Amino acid sequence: MSDVSPLEQMAVVLARDLKDRELGAAGAAALVPMAAIALARELHAPNLSIGGEMFFNPYPRRLYASMLDDRALGRCEASETFIELFGHSHHGLDFFFHSGLQHDRFGNINLHYVGGSLHEPKMRGPGAANLSYCHTSTRFYICPTVHNDRNFVEKVDFVTIPGHLEGPESKRAAGLMNEGPRFVITPRAVMDFDPDTLEMRLKSVHCGNSVQDVLDHTGFALNVPEGVGQTPPPSEEELELLRNKIDPTGELRH
Amino acid sequence: MQRDPKLVDLDEAMALAVGALAERPDLCLGGLFKQSRPVALVRALLAAGSKGLNLYSSPGAGYDVDLMIAADAVDAVFIPGVTLENRLCPNFRAAVESQRITAHALDALSVVGALMASANGVPFQPIAALKASDVIKHNPLITEFECPITGDTLHAARAVRPRVTFLHAQEADRWGNIRHLSTMVYADQLMARASDLVIVSVDRIVEDDVVLDDPRRVTIPSHYVDAVVHIPYGAHPTASFPLYSIDEEHIDAYADLGDAARKGDGAGLTDYLAQHVTGPADQQAYLDRIGGAKRLQILEQEAAEL
Repeated sequence: MSDVSPLEQMAVVLARDLKDRELGAAGAAALVPMAAIALARELHAPNLSIGGEMFFNPYPRRLYASMLDDRALGRCEASETFIELFGHSHHGLDFFFHSGLQHDRFGNINLHYVGGSLHEPKMRGPGAANLSYCHTSTRFYICPTVHNDRNFVEKVDFVTIPGHLEGPESKRAAGLMNEGPRFVITPRAVMDFDPDTLEMRLKSVHCGNSVQDVLDHTGFALNVPEGVGQTPPPSEEELELLRNKIDPTGELRH
Repeated sequence: MQRDPKLVDLDEAMALAVGALAERPDLCLGGLFKQSRPVALVRALLAAGSKGLNLYSSPGAGYDVDLMIAADAVDAVFIPGVTLENRLCPNFRAAVESQRITAHALDALSVVGALMASANGVPFQPIAALKASDVIKHNPLITEFECPITGDTLHAARAVRPRVTFLHAQEADRWGNIRHLSTMVYADQLMARASDLVIVSVDRIVEDDVVLDDPRRVTIPSHYVDAVVHIPYGAHPTASFPLYSIDEEHIDAYADLGDAARKGDGAGLTDYLAQHVTGPADQQAYLDRIGGAKRLQILEQEAAEL
């Protein structure tokens, strides 16, 4: 399976962690999350509902970079507005996805600026709309489509999306009661968080990458537990569904 | 006596908007990211020379906000996410980095809550789902308070009442009853109820019977609307689903000019504004400029195939 693309590998890892009968949404950078959700629905989670972003259960004909327009929805079962989104944000979903300009050791995410300060930034980013799903939802996944020492940093310049803050104590003090970020999935590897310290650690590396590659492209000293192996590659069934049904235009392979 | 239609021409609508914004420059824009943005109204406002605006929107915006910044019409942006989605907004970014405008750190619930409070006629909307983000420390719309029921610490989003709101929808009747035919309606209904002066551009005007035969299809009753302007393709280069799709090529070419300006070469962007904003005498002249019927047919085809 050497021709599996990094984004296909990411989608498969994410899909396997989504459960039947859950409710979740793809978030702003939707390409990989939407592929993951669609794959889970095709395989083990036919009752998984997509909702919480102003529409329910879309049937897109192909994948798009953003899910938040009618083009990417294709047909869908129902639509809502920002008024209902207000309620969803308080009640929370089962899962959500985030990525940013910077991600740090504790899974905090920055989308506002890099360098300088908020009102005197060296580089201003897009900001983010929904800051609540990260802690009102049962869990979320961090899935940036690049992994280098500039977007994986020791400490983010600004916490747009709180992850595990600075560990268990700070999380409790801030009232973050849910799991927060469960996995970090990048084109190179899967990371999770040490349950005692909530620090990021390497879980597995994707085919074609070494542990050293991942460390070289991470801007902080990533913990490497013993026995880190290779990420289980997509099965034939997963790959066939992805390529023939979910992503016929090959957006995950560009 | 006869009932007054709310259908007006673009000049009349702009006279209303310019006058209101001179009193208080708080402008709110409908749609979301690259869909149903009232771009023709925005271009007309820029051509009329509006300056010093405070911009509100549904929680995500891009091209139109960037264009207004390029035209030097903006003082402050109160929008949580400003992005072209596939790339950053070049003029937004450059203006914040050089401190020519203030981009407030906000989130979706504060903006939606602030509009809900205004729409509902109450001073604030409680929010119980804001925790631990640095945005909370800087967000100018919220204040911490103790909940009188639970004793928890909550946030109050103060009511925001835009002086003017521009929306774009697919259809209206002459009385100002608005029909969105798109799958999503974004925050348009909320904004219409939250604002002082509401001006809506529509791609087509329908007969009274179309509205009367299906009143549940009216997304915004004319009660909340002050003026309707018939502007075919009024959302271009954003989409007006299901009639026409997003003109990604146009937006991308614009963003390239914006990025060049950000790096010091502003000639292309200046020319773009002259060709597309201040130059065209009317919407037809603008449509000719962006590729005319041939280009629009491609966008219609894409929308029809979804």
